[in-house]
Amino acid sequence: MHMLRDTYYLMARSLRESVRQPAVELTNIFIPMFFFAVTVGAIGNVAGRAFGVTNFLAFQMPVAVLQAVAGAAGSAGLATTTDIERGYFDKLLLTPTPRLSLVLGRLSADAVRAMGLTLLILIAGLAAGSGMAAGPLGAVVILVLAGMFGLAYSAIGMAIALRTGSPQAAQAGFLIFFPLLFLSPAFAPKEVFAGWLEFLATINPVTYILQGMRHLILDGWSAGSLAGALASIVGLGAFTLTLTLSALRWRTS
Amino acid sequence: MTTAILAEGLVKHFAPDIRAVDGIDLSIPEGQIFGFLGPNGSGKTTTVRMLTTLLRPTAGRAEVAGLDVVRQAGQVRRRIGVALQEAGLDDLQTGRELLRLQGHLYGLDQDQAKRRATHLLELVDLAPDADRAIKGYSGGMKRRLDLAAALMHEPKIVFLDEPTTGLDPISREAIWREVRQLNVEEKVTFFLTTQYMEEADRLADELAIMNHGRIVAQGTPAQLKAAIGTDVVTVRIERGEADRVRAVDLLRALDGVEQVRSVDEDVVVYIRDGRRAIARIILLLDEASVQVDEVSLAHPTLDDVFLRKTGHHIETEARS
Repeated sequence: MHMLRDTYYLMARSLRESVRQPAVELTNIFIPMFFFAVTVGAIGNVAGRAFGVTNFLAFQMPVAVLQAVAGAAGSAGLATTTDIERGYFDKLLLTPTPRLSLVLGRLSADAVRAMGLTLLILIAGLAAGSGMAAGPLGAVVILVLAGMFGLAYSAIGMAIALRTGSPQAAQAGFLIFFPLLFLSPAFAPKEVFAGWLEFLATINPVTYILQGMRHLILDGWSAGSLAGALASIVGLGAFTLTLTLSALRWRTS
Repeated sequence: MTTAILAEGLVKHFAPDIRAVDGIDLSIPEGQIFGFLGPNGSGKTTTVRMLTTLLRPTAGRAEVAGLDVVRQAGQVRRRIGVALQEAGLDDLQTGRELLRLQGHLYGLDQDQAKRRATHLLELVDLAPDADRAIKGYSGGMKRRLDLAAALMHEPKIVFLDEPTTGLDPISREAIWREVRQLNVEEKVTFFLTTQYMEEADRLADELAIMNHGRIVAQGTPAQLKAAIGTDVVTVRIERGEADRVRAVDLLRALDGVEQVRSVDEDVVVYIRDGRRAIARIILLLDEASVQVDEVSLAHPTLDDVFLRKTGHHIETEARS
Protein backbone atom coordinates (compact mmCIF):
# COMPACT_ATOMS: atom_id res chain seq x y z
CA MET A 1 0.00 0.00 0.00
CA HIS A 2 2.67 2.32 1.19
CA MET A 3 4.75 1.49 -1.87
CA LEU A 4 1.92 2.11 -4.34
CA ARG A 5 1.06 5.41 -2.71
CA ASP A 6 4.65 6.66 -2.70
CA THR A 7 5.16 5.46 -6.27
CA TYR A 8 2.12 7.46 -7.25
CA TYR A 9 3.39 10.66 -5.60
CA LEU A 10 6.84 10.27 -7.14
CA MET A 11 5.33 9.55 -10.54
CA ALA A 12 3.18 12.68 -10.25
CA ARG A 13 6.31 14.66 -9.48
CA SER A 14 8.08 13.31 -12.58
CA LEU A 15 5.09 14.11 -14.76
CA ARG A 16 4.98 17.66 -13.37
CA GLU A 17 8.56 18.03 -14.54
CA SER A 18 7.57 16.95 -18.05
CA VAL A 19 4.79 19.49 -18.16
CA ARG A 20 7.30 22.15 -17.16
CA GLN A 21 9.77 21.18 -19.88
CA PRO A 22 7.48 21.04 -22.90
CA ALA A 23 10.40 21.38 -25.31
CA VAL A 24 11.63 17.91 -24.34
CA GLU A 25 8.25 16.34 -25.08
CA LEU A 26 7.95 18.22 -28.36
CA THR A 27 11.26 16.72 -29.50
CA ASN A 28 10.11 13.29 -28.36
CA ILE A 29 7.01 13.48 -30.52
CA PHE A 30 8.51 15.38 -33.45
CA ILE A 31 11.25 12.90 -34.29
CA PRO A 32 9.11 9.75 -34.62
CA MET A 33 6.35 11.69 -36.42
CA PHE A 34 8.90 13.09 -38.84
CA PHE A 35 10.39 9.67 -39.67
CA PHE A 36 6.91 8.20 -39.86
CA ALA A 37 5.84 10.77 -42.48
CA VAL A 38 9.09 10.67 -44.43
CA THR A 39 9.32 6.87 -44.54
CA VAL A 40 5.71 6.46 -45.63
CA GLY A 41 6.15 9.25 -48.18
CA ALA A 42 9.31 7.73 -49.62
CA ILE A 43 8.56 4.01 -49.65
CA GLY A 44 4.78 3.85 -49.27
CA ASN A 45 4.06 3.86 -53.01
CA VAL A 46 6.51 1.09 -53.90
CA ALA A 47 6.09 -1.10 -50.80
CA GLY A 48 3.26 -3.11 -52.38
CA ARG A 49 5.26 -3.92 -55.49
CA ALA A 50 8.54 -4.36 -53.61
CA PHE A 51 7.48 -6.64 -50.77
CA GLY A 52 3.73 -6.97 -50.85
CA VAL A 53 2.76 -4.47 -48.15
CA THR A 54 -0.13 -2.46 -49.51
CA ASN A 55 -0.98 -0.46 -46.40
CA PHE A 56 2.52 0.83 -45.61
CA LEU A 57 1.12 3.60 -43.39
CA ALA A 58 -0.33 0.98 -41.04
CA PHE A 59 2.76 -1.17 -41.44
CA GLN A 60 4.95 1.72 -40.32
CA MET A 61 2.77 3.02 -37.46
CA PRO A 62 4.14 0.65 -34.77
CA VAL A 63 7.69 1.66 -35.74
CA ALA A 64 6.80 5.27 -34.94
CA VAL A 65 5.21 4.09 -31.70
CA LEU A 66 8.32 2.20 -30.60
CA GLN A 67 10.58 5.09 -31.57
CA ALA A 68 8.45 7.48 -29.51
CA VAL A 69 8.41 5.07 -26.57
CA ALA A 70 12.20 4.79 -26.69
CA GLY A 71 12.53 8.59 -26.69
CA ALA A 72 10.16 8.95 -23.74
CA ALA A 73 11.94 6.16 -21.87
CA GLY A 74 15.17 8.12 -21.75
CA SER A 75 13.81 10.55 -19.17
CA ALA A 76 13.84 8.44 -16.02
CA GLY A 77 17.56 7.77 -16.13
CA LEU A 78 18.46 11.30 -17.13
CA ALA A 79 16.27 12.90 -14.47
CA THR A 80 17.69 10.54 -11.86
CA THR A 81 21.23 11.64 -12.65
CA THR A 82 20.08 15.22 -12.10
CA ASP A 83 18.61 14.23 -8.73
CA ILE A 84 21.85 12.49 -7.83
CA GLU A 85 23.98 15.47 -8.87
CA ARG A 86 21.82 17.96 -6.99
CA GLY A 87 21.76 15.83 -3.85
CA TYR A 88 17.98 15.51 -4.04
CA PHE A 89 18.32 11.76 -4.48
CA ASP A 90 19.98 11.59 -1.04
CA LYS A 91 17.08 13.55 0.37
CA LEU A 92 14.67 11.00 -1.07
CA LEU A 93 16.80 8.13 0.25
CA LEU A 94 16.55 9.69 3.71
CA THR A 95 12.78 9.41 3.72
CA PRO A 96 11.21 6.13 4.85
CA THR A 97 9.76 5.61 1.37
CA PRO A 98 10.42 2.12 -0.04
CA ARG A 99 13.54 2.15 -2.23
CA LEU A 100 11.57 0.49 -4.98
CA SER A 101 9.16 3.43 -5.13
CA LEU A 102 12.00 5.81 -5.92
CA VAL A 103 12.69 3.77 -9.04
CA LEU A 104 9.14 2.81 -9.97
CA GLY A 105 7.91 6.39 -9.63
CA ARG A 106 10.29 7.50 -12.36
CA LEU A 107 9.79 4.43 -14.55
CA SER A 108 6.02 4.58 -14.42
CA ALA A 109 6.13 8.27 -15.32
CA ASP A 110 8.04 7.26 -18.44
CA ALA A 111 5.39 4.63 -19.12
CA VAL A 112 2.64 7.24 -18.87
CA ARG A 113 4.53 9.59 -21.17
CA ALA A 114 5.14 6.76 -23.62
CA MET A 115 1.40 6.10 -23.67
CA GLY A 116 0.68 9.77 -24.24
CA LEU A 117 3.02 9.94 -27.23
CA THR A 118 1.61 6.65 -28.57
CA LEU A 119 -1.89 8.06 -28.39
CA LEU A 120 -0.81 11.03 -30.52
CA ILE A 121 0.76 8.74 -33.12
CA LEU A 122 -2.32 6.52 -33.24
CA ILE A 123 -4.53 9.56 -33.72
CA ALA A 124 -2.29 10.88 -36.50
CA GLY A 125 -2.07 7.46 -38.20
CA LEU A 126 -5.81 6.80 -37.99
CA ALA A 127 -6.54 10.27 -39.31
CA ALA A 128 -4.23 9.57 -42.25
CA GLY A 129 -6.14 6.37 -42.98
CA SER A 130 -4.12 3.56 -41.42
CA GLY A 131 -7.21 1.80 -40.13
CA MET A 132 -7.26 -0.51 -37.10
CA ALA A 133 -8.22 -4.07 -37.90
CA ALA A 134 -8.64 -5.07 -34.25
CA GLY A 135 -10.97 -2.13 -33.59
CA PRO A 136 -10.90 0.36 -30.69
CA LEU A 137 -9.88 -2.31 -28.20
CA GLY A 138 -6.87 -3.06 -30.39
CA ALA A 139 -5.78 0.57 -30.02
CA VAL A 140 -6.12 0.25 -26.24
CA VAL A 141 -3.96 -2.88 -26.27
CA ILE A 142 -1.30 -1.04 -28.31
CA LEU A 143 -1.34 1.74 -25.70
CA VAL A 144 -0.89 -0.76 -22.88
CA LEU A 145 1.93 -2.56 -24.70
CA ALA A 146 3.61 0.80 -25.33
CA GLY A 147 3.36 1.66 -21.65
CA MET A 148 4.79 -1.67 -20.56
CA PHE A 149 7.59 -1.49 -23.11
CA GLY A 150 8.29 2.10 -21.98
CA LEU A 151 8.69 0.95 -18.38
CA ALA A 152 10.92 -1.98 -19.33
CA TYR A 153 13.04 0.13 -21.64
CA SER A 154 13.34 3.04 -19.25
CA ALA A 155 14.85 0.70 -16.66
CA ILE A 156 18.01 0.43 -18.80
CA GLY A 157 18.71 4.15 -18.48
CA MET A 158 17.75 3.99 -14.80
CA ALA A 159 20.21 1.17 -14.11
CA ILE A 160 22.99 3.10 -15.82
CA ALA A 161 22.03 6.29 -13.98
CA LEU A 162 22.08 4.63 -10.58
CA ARG A 163 25.34 2.88 -11.30
CA THR A 164 27.26 5.81 -12.82
CA GLY A 165 25.39 8.98 -11.81
CA SER A 166 26.42 10.25 -15.23
CA PRO A 167 23.89 11.93 -17.54
CA GLN A 168 25.98 11.09 -20.62
CA ALA A 169 25.99 7.42 -19.75
CA ALA A 170 22.26 7.41 -19.01
CA GLN A 171 21.56 9.03 -22.36
CA ALA A 172 23.67 6.42 -24.08
CA GLY A 173 21.19 3.94 -22.59
CA PHE A 174 18.47 4.67 -25.06
CA LEU A 175 20.85 4.84 -28.00
CA ILE A 176 21.06 1.07 -27.55
CA PHE A 177 17.52 0.97 -28.84
CA PHE A 178 18.27 2.22 -32.31
CA PRO A 179 20.27 -0.75 -33.53
CA LEU A 180 17.63 -3.00 -31.95
CA LEU A 181 14.89 -1.17 -33.84
CA PHE A 182 16.63 -1.65 -37.19
CA LEU A 183 17.50 -5.28 -36.49
CA SER A 184 13.79 -5.97 -36.77
CA PRO A 185 11.29 -5.95 -39.65
CA ALA A 186 10.88 -2.18 -39.18
CA PHE A 187 10.81 -1.18 -42.84
CA ALA A 188 10.08 -4.44 -44.62
CA PRO A 189 8.84 -7.93 -43.75
CA LYS A 190 11.47 -10.29 -42.40
CA GLU A 191 10.97 -12.65 -45.33
CA VAL A 192 12.74 -10.31 -47.75
CA PHE A 193 15.80 -9.81 -45.48
CA ALA A 194 19.27 -11.19 -46.14
CA GLY A 195 19.90 -14.34 -44.15
CA TRP A 196 22.08 -12.82 -41.44
CA LEU A 197 19.66 -9.95 -40.84
CA GLU A 198 16.70 -12.31 -40.76
CA PHE A 199 18.50 -14.33 -38.10
CA LEU A 200 19.22 -11.26 -35.96
CA ALA A 201 15.64 -10.07 -36.36
CA THR A 202 14.38 -13.47 -35.22
CA ILE A 203 16.29 -13.34 -31.95
CA ASN A 204 15.53 -9.65 -31.34
CA PRO A 205 12.69 -9.19 -28.81
CA VAL A 206 11.74 -5.88 -30.44
CA THR A 207 10.68 -7.87 -33.53
CA TYR A 208 7.89 -9.56 -31.58
CA ILE A 209 6.67 -6.36 -29.95
CA LEU A 210 6.58 -4.73 -33.36
CA GLN A 211 4.79 -7.66 -34.98
CA GLY A 212 2.29 -7.88 -32.14
CA MET A 213 1.28 -4.25 -32.60
CA ARG A 214 1.37 -4.51 -36.38
CA HIS A 215 -0.92 -7.51 -36.38
CA LEU A 216 -3.54 -5.60 -34.39
CA ILE A 217 -3.49 -2.76 -36.90
CA LEU A 218 -3.28 -4.72 -40.17
CA ASP A 219 -4.89 -8.08 -39.52
CA GLY A 220 -6.83 -8.00 -36.25
CA TRP A 221 -6.60 -10.26 -33.21
CA SER A 222 -4.08 -13.08 -33.00
CA ALA A 223 -3.36 -14.83 -29.74
CA GLY A 224 0.03 -16.00 -30.97
CA SER A 225 1.43 -12.66 -31.99
CA LEU A 226 0.00 -10.96 -28.91
CA ALA A 227 1.58 -13.59 -26.67
CA GLY A 228 4.88 -13.09 -28.49
CA ALA A 229 4.76 -9.34 -27.85
CA LEU A 230 3.83 -9.78 -24.20
CA ALA A 231 6.48 -12.41 -23.59
CA SER A 232 9.15 -10.21 -25.18
CA ILE A 233 8.18 -7.22 -23.07
CA VAL A 234 8.00 -9.22 -19.85
CA GLY A 235 11.31 -10.92 -20.60
CA LEU A 236 13.02 -7.64 -21.43
CA GLY A 237 11.45 -6.02 -18.35
CA ALA A 238 12.58 -8.82 -16.06
CA PHE A 239 16.12 -8.37 -17.34
CA THR A 240 16.23 -4.54 -17.16
CA LEU A 241 14.45 -4.33 -13.80
CA THR A 242 16.90 -6.82 -12.34
CA LEU A 243 19.73 -4.61 -13.54
CA THR A 244 18.03 -1.55 -12.03
CA LEU A 245 17.41 -3.19 -8.68
CA SER A 246 20.98 -4.40 -8.40
CA ALA A 247 22.22 -0.91 -9.30
CA LEU A 248 19.91 0.55 -6.64
CA ARG A 249 21.19 -1.89 -4.06
CA TRP A 250 24.74 -0.99 -5.03
CA ARG A 251 24.05 2.74 -4.64
CA THR A 252 22.33 2.47 -1.29
CA SER A 253 24.67 0.01 0.42
CA MET B 1 18.04 13.04 30.38
CA THR B 2 17.87 10.57 27.49
CA THR B 3 20.56 10.31 24.88
CA ALA B 4 19.52 11.47 21.42
CA ILE B 5 22.69 10.56 19.54
CA LEU B 6 25.32 8.07 20.59
CA ALA B 7 28.48 6.99 18.79
CA GLU B 8 31.07 4.50 19.97
CA GLY B 9 34.35 4.08 18.15
CA LEU B 10 32.75 5.15 14.88
CA VAL B 11 35.09 4.65 11.92
CA LYS B 12 34.76 5.16 8.18
CA HIS B 13 37.57 4.33 5.79
CA PHE B 14 37.34 4.96 2.07
CA ALA B 15 39.85 2.87 0.22
CA PRO B 16 42.30 1.29 2.66
CA ASP B 17 44.28 4.42 3.38
CA ILE B 18 41.72 7.22 3.60
CA ARG B 19 40.57 7.45 7.19
CA ALA B 20 37.73 9.93 6.82
CA VAL B 21 36.47 9.24 10.34
CA ASP B 22 38.94 7.60 12.61
CA GLY B 23 37.20 6.49 15.78
CA ILE B 24 34.87 9.00 17.37
CA ASP B 25 32.70 8.79 20.48
CA LEU B 26 29.70 11.01 21.05
CA SER B 27 26.90 11.18 23.58
CA ILE B 28 24.45 13.96 22.87
CA PRO B 29 21.49 14.44 25.22
CA GLU B 30 18.00 15.25 24.01
CA GLY B 31 17.20 18.92 23.56
CA GLN B 32 20.74 20.03 22.90
CA ILE B 33 22.16 22.02 20.01
CA PHE B 34 25.37 20.14 19.36
CA GLY B 35 27.98 21.77 17.17
CA PHE B 36 30.44 19.75 15.13
CA LEU B 37 33.22 22.14 14.21
CA GLY B 38 36.11 21.50 11.89
CA PRO B 39 37.76 22.51 8.64
CA ASN B 40 36.85 21.07 5.24
CA GLY B 41 37.83 17.45 4.96
CA SER B 42 37.95 16.85 8.70
CA GLY B 43 35.27 14.14 8.55
CA LYS B 44 32.18 16.12 9.56
CA THR B 45 30.06 15.23 6.56
CA THR B 46 31.10 11.59 6.65
CA THR B 47 30.04 11.44 10.29
CA VAL B 48 26.67 12.98 9.47
CA ARG B 49 26.16 10.54 6.60
CA MET B 50 26.80 7.62 8.93
CA LEU B 51 24.52 8.95 11.67
CA THR B 52 21.75 9.56 9.14
CA THR B 53 21.97 6.03 7.63
CA LEU B 54 23.36 7.15 4.27
CA LEU B 55 26.75 5.53 4.85
CA ARG B 56 27.57 2.27 6.54
CA PRO B 57 30.32 2.60 9.17
CA THR B 58 33.51 0.61 8.64
CA ALA B 59 33.66 -0.08 12.36
CA GLY B 60 32.05 1.01 15.61
CA ARG B 61 28.39 1.69 16.16
CA ALA B 62 25.95 4.55 16.47
CA GLU B 63 22.46 5.02 17.81
CA VAL B 64 20.03 7.77 17.03
CA ALA B 65 16.88 8.04 19.15
CA GLY B 66 17.93 4.78 20.77
CA LEU B 67 17.95 2.94 17.41
CA ASP B 68 20.94 1.39 15.67
CA VAL B 69 21.75 3.33 12.49
CA VAL B 70 22.64 0.19 10.54
CA ARG B 71 20.26 -2.49 11.79
CA GLN B 72 17.29 -0.16 12.33
CA ALA B 73 18.02 2.30 9.53
CA GLY B 74 14.40 2.53 8.41
CA GLN B 75 13.15 3.44 11.88
CA VAL B 76 15.97 5.95 12.34
CA ARG B 77 14.98 7.69 9.09
CA ARG B 78 11.43 8.15 10.33
CA ARG B 79 12.64 9.95 13.44
CA ILE B 80 15.24 12.30 12.02
CA GLY B 81 15.19 15.36 9.82
CA VAL B 82 18.21 16.02 7.64
CA ALA B 83 19.40 18.98 5.60
CA LEU B 84 22.59 18.02 3.83
CA GLN B 85 25.31 20.34 2.63
CA GLU B 86 24.44 22.11 -0.64
CA ALA B 87 20.67 21.97 -0.20
CA GLY B 88 19.57 19.04 -2.31
CA LEU B 89 16.45 20.28 -4.01
CA ASP B 90 14.55 19.82 -7.23
CA ASP B 91 14.63 22.97 -9.36
CA LEU B 92 11.53 22.19 -11.38
CA GLN B 93 9.13 21.99 -8.44
CA THR B 94 7.81 24.89 -6.42
CA GLY B 95 8.72 25.22 -2.76
CA ARG B 96 5.25 24.15 -1.71
CA GLU B 97 5.25 21.10 -4.00
CA LEU B 98 8.60 19.98 -2.68
CA LEU B 99 7.42 20.19 0.93
CA ARG B 100 4.16 18.40 0.22
CA LEU B 101 5.93 15.57 -1.60
CA GLN B 102 8.34 15.32 1.32
CA GLY B 103 5.37 15.10 3.69
CA HIS B 104 3.67 12.39 1.61
CA LEU B 105 6.83 10.30 1.60
CA TYR B 106 6.70 10.40 5.40
CA GLY B 107 3.13 9.18 5.32
CA LEU B 108 1.23 12.46 5.80
CA ASP B 109 -2.12 12.55 4.01
CA GLN B 110 -3.11 15.34 1.59
CA ASP B 111 -4.59 17.51 4.28
CA GLN B 112 -1.79 17.10 6.82
CA ALA B 113 0.89 17.69 4.20
CA LYS B 114 -0.86 20.80 2.97
CA ARG B 115 -1.25 22.30 6.43
CA ARG B 116 2.26 21.45 7.57
CA ALA B 117 3.78 22.88 4.38
CA THR B 118 1.90 26.14 4.80
CA HIS B 119 2.99 26.39 8.43
CA LEU B 120 6.66 25.75 7.66
CA LEU B 121 6.73 28.09 4.67
CA GLU B 122 5.66 30.81 7.05
CA LEU B 123 8.16 29.75 9.67
CA VAL B 124 11.08 30.05 7.24
CA ASP B 125 9.69 33.22 5.64
CA LEU B 126 9.07 31.67 2.25
CA ALA B 127 5.30 32.06 2.10
CA PRO B 128 5.42 34.75 -0.61
CA ASP B 129 7.64 32.57 -2.82
CA ALA B 130 5.97 29.24 -2.07
CA ASP B 131 4.43 28.82 -5.51
CA ARG B 132 7.44 29.84 -7.56
CA ALA B 133 9.81 27.29 -9.09
CA ILE B 134 12.80 26.59 -6.84
CA LYS B 135 15.04 27.37 -9.82
CA GLY B 136 14.56 31.08 -9.07
CA TYR B 137 15.38 30.89 -5.35
CA SER B 138 18.53 32.47 -3.90
CA GLY B 139 21.07 30.40 -1.97
CA GLY B 140 19.61 31.53 1.35
CA MET B 141 16.05 30.73 0.29
CA LYS B 142 17.10 27.24 -0.80
CA ARG B 143 18.73 26.58 2.56
CA ARG B 144 15.63 27.75 4.37
CA LEU B 145 13.45 25.55 2.19
CA ASP B 146 15.77 22.62 2.82
CA LEU B 147 15.47 23.25 6.55
CA ALA B 148 11.68 23.32 6.23
CA ALA B 149 11.78 20.04 4.27
CA ALA B 150 13.80 18.48 7.07
CA LEU B 151 11.06 19.50 9.52
CA MET B 152 8.00 18.31 7.55
CA HIS B 153 7.40 15.20 9.63
CA GLU B 154 8.09 16.96 12.95
CA PRO B 155 11.27 15.08 13.79
CA LYS B 156 12.70 15.54 17.25
CA ILE B 157 16.30 15.12 16.06
CA VAL B 158 17.56 17.22 13.16
CA PHE B 159 20.92 17.02 11.39
CA LEU B 160 22.12 20.12 9.56
CA ASP B 161 25.31 19.75 7.55
CA GLU B 162 26.93 23.17 7.18
CA PRO B 163 23.56 24.93 7.00
CA THR B 164 25.04 28.39 6.49
CA THR B 165 28.16 27.80 4.40
CA GLY B 166 28.25 30.33 1.59
CA LEU B 167 25.37 32.40 2.94
CA ASP B 168 25.40 36.13 3.53
CA PRO B 169 25.29 37.33 7.16
CA ILE B 170 21.58 38.14 7.08
CA SER B 171 20.56 34.73 5.78
CA ARG B 172 22.89 33.15 8.30
CA GLU B 173 21.23 35.02 11.16
CA ALA B 174 17.83 33.89 9.87
CA ILE B 175 18.87 30.22 9.99
CA TRP B 176 20.32 30.64 13.48
CA ARG B 177 17.12 32.27 14.69
CA GLU B 178 15.01 29.40 13.33
CA VAL B 179 17.24 26.74 14.83
CA ARG B 180 17.14 28.39 18.24
CA GLN B 181 13.39 28.88 18.08
CA LEU B 182 12.76 25.23 17.22
CA ASN B 183 15.13 24.12 19.91
CA VAL B 184 13.39 26.18 22.58
CA GLU B 185 9.76 25.87 21.49
CA GLU B 186 9.64 22.34 20.14
CA LYS B 187 12.57 20.82 22.05
CA VAL B 188 14.22 19.69 18.82
CA THR B 189 17.73 18.28 19.24
CA PHE B 190 20.10 19.66 16.61
CA PHE B 191 23.32 18.15 15.33
CA LEU B 192 24.93 20.87 13.31
CA THR B 193 28.22 20.81 11.48
CA THR B 194 30.02 24.01 10.69
CA GLN B 195 33.36 25.39 9.69
CA TYR B 196 32.48 28.76 11.23
CA MET B 197 33.67 29.30 14.77
CA GLU B 198 31.23 32.10 15.31
CA GLU B 199 28.37 29.81 14.44
CA ALA B 200 29.56 27.11 16.83
CA ASP B 201 30.18 29.68 19.53
CA ARG B 202 26.83 31.41 19.27
CA LEU B 203 24.57 28.49 18.56
CA ALA B 204 25.93 25.34 20.15
CA ASP B 205 25.26 24.29 23.74
CA GLU B 206 28.11 21.87 23.40
CA LEU B 207 30.55 21.15 20.65
CA ALA B 208 33.17 18.79 19.37
CA ILE B 209 36.12 19.99 17.35
CA MET B 210 37.14 17.67 14.54
CA ASN B 211 40.49 17.41 12.81
CA HIS B 212 41.62 14.65 10.45
CA GLY B 213 38.78 12.35 11.40
CA ARG B 214 39.22 12.64 15.14
CA ILE B 215 37.64 14.72 17.88
CA VAL B 216 40.41 16.87 19.29
CA ALA B 217 38.34 18.72 21.91
CA GLN B 218 34.83 18.54 23.28
CA GLY B 219 32.80 20.61 25.74
CA THR B 220 30.72 23.78 25.96
CA PRO B 221 32.24 26.73 24.12
CA ALA B 222 32.93 28.42 27.46
CA GLN B 223 34.61 25.31 28.88
CA LEU B 224 36.79 24.90 25.83
CA LYS B 225 37.91 28.49 25.91
CA ALA B 226 38.43 28.44 29.68
CA ALA B 227 40.52 25.29 29.33
CA ILE B 228 43.09 27.30 27.50
CA GLY B 229 43.50 29.15 30.79
CA THR B 230 45.50 31.99 29.34
CA ASP B 231 45.17 35.06 27.22
CA VAL B 232 46.42 35.10 23.68
CA VAL B 233 49.03 37.60 22.56
CA THR B 234 49.69 37.61 18.84
CA VAL B 235 52.95 39.19 17.70
CA ARG B 236 53.29 39.82 13.99
CA ILE B 237 56.85 39.65 12.68
CA GLU B 238 56.87 40.18 8.95
CA ARG B 239 60.60 40.49 8.35
CA GLY B 240 61.79 36.94 8.40
CA GLU B 241 61.58 33.36 9.46
CA ALA B 242 64.83 33.61 11.42
CA ASP B 243 63.45 36.41 13.59
CA ARG B 244 60.29 34.46 14.27
CA VAL B 245 62.27 31.40 15.33
CA ARG B 246 64.35 33.57 17.64
CA ALA B 247 61.24 35.21 19.04
CA VAL B 248 59.65 31.84 19.78
CA ASP B 249 62.74 30.77 21.74
CA LEU B 250 62.94 33.99 23.68
CA LEU B 251 59.25 34.10 24.52
CA ARG B 252 59.18 30.50 25.73
CA ALA B 253 61.39 31.55 28.59
CA LEU B 254 59.00 34.25 29.82
CA ASP B 255 57.16 33.88 33.11
CA GLY B 256 53.54 32.72 32.80
CA VAL B 257 53.89 31.40 29.27
CA GLU B 258 51.98 28.21 28.59
CA GLN B 259 52.77 27.76 24.96
CA VAL B 260 54.27 29.62 21.98
CA ARG B 261 53.48 28.77 18.39
CA SER B 262 54.65 30.18 15.09
CA VAL B 263 51.76 30.43 12.63
CA ASP B 264 52.35 32.10 9.26
CA GLU B 265 53.75 35.55 10.05
CA ASP B 266 52.53 35.47 13.63
CA VAL B 267 54.00 34.23 16.83
CA VAL B 268 51.13 33.28 19.10
CA VAL B 269 51.82 33.38 22.83
CA TYR B 270 49.45 31.73 25.32
CA ILE B 271 50.23 33.60 28.50
CA ARG B 272 48.56 34.27 31.83
CA ASP B 273 47.55 37.83 32.56
CA GLY B 274 48.17 38.99 29.01
CA ARG B 275 47.55 42.64 29.80
CA ARG B 276 50.64 42.88 31.97
CA ALA B 277 52.70 40.51 29.85
CA ILE B 278 52.41 42.54 26.70
CA ALA B 279 54.92 45.15 27.83
CA ARG B 280 57.43 42.49 28.81
CA ILE B 281 57.03 40.77 25.46
CA ILE B 282 57.71 43.93 23.49
CA LEU B 283 60.66 44.85 25.66
CA LEU B 284 62.22 41.44 25.34
CA LEU B 285 61.90 41.38 21.55
CA ASP B 286 63.18 44.91 21.24
CA GLU B 287 66.30 44.09 23.27
CA ALA B 288 66.94 41.17 20.93
CA SER B 289 66.48 43.46 17.91
CA VAL B 290 63.49 41.53 16.58
CA GLN B 291 61.36 43.93 14.58
CA VAL B 292 57.74 43.70 15.67
CA ASP B 293 55.08 44.84 13.20
CA GLU B 294 51.96 44.36 15.23
CA VAL B 295 50.89 43.14 18.65
CA SER B 296 47.40 42.21 19.73
CA LEU B 297 45.85 40.82 22.88
CA ALA B 298 42.71 38.72 22.99
CA HIS B 299 40.76 36.37 25.16
CA PRO B 300 40.84 32.91 23.70
CA THR B 301 38.39 32.06 20.90
CA LEU B 302 37.39 28.67 19.56
CA ASP B 303 39.96 29.22 16.85
CA ASP B 304 42.59 29.42 19.57
CA VAL B 305 41.28 26.15 20.95
CA PHE B 306 41.64 24.63 17.51
CA LEU B 307 45.04 26.22 16.97
CA ARG B 308 46.25 24.99 20.33
CA LYS B 309 45.19 21.43 19.52
CA THR B 310 46.25 21.22 15.91
CA GLY B 311 48.80 23.92 15.13
CA HIS B 312 46.75 25.65 12.46
CA HIS B 313 43.70 27.88 12.16
CA ILE B 314 40.31 26.49 11.26
CA GLU B 315 39.27 29.09 8.79
CA THR B 316 42.54 29.46 6.90
CA GLU B 317 42.15 25.81 5.98
CA ALA B 318 38.52 26.28 5.16
CA ARG B 319 39.35 29.06 2.77
CA SER B 320 42.08 27.24 0.90
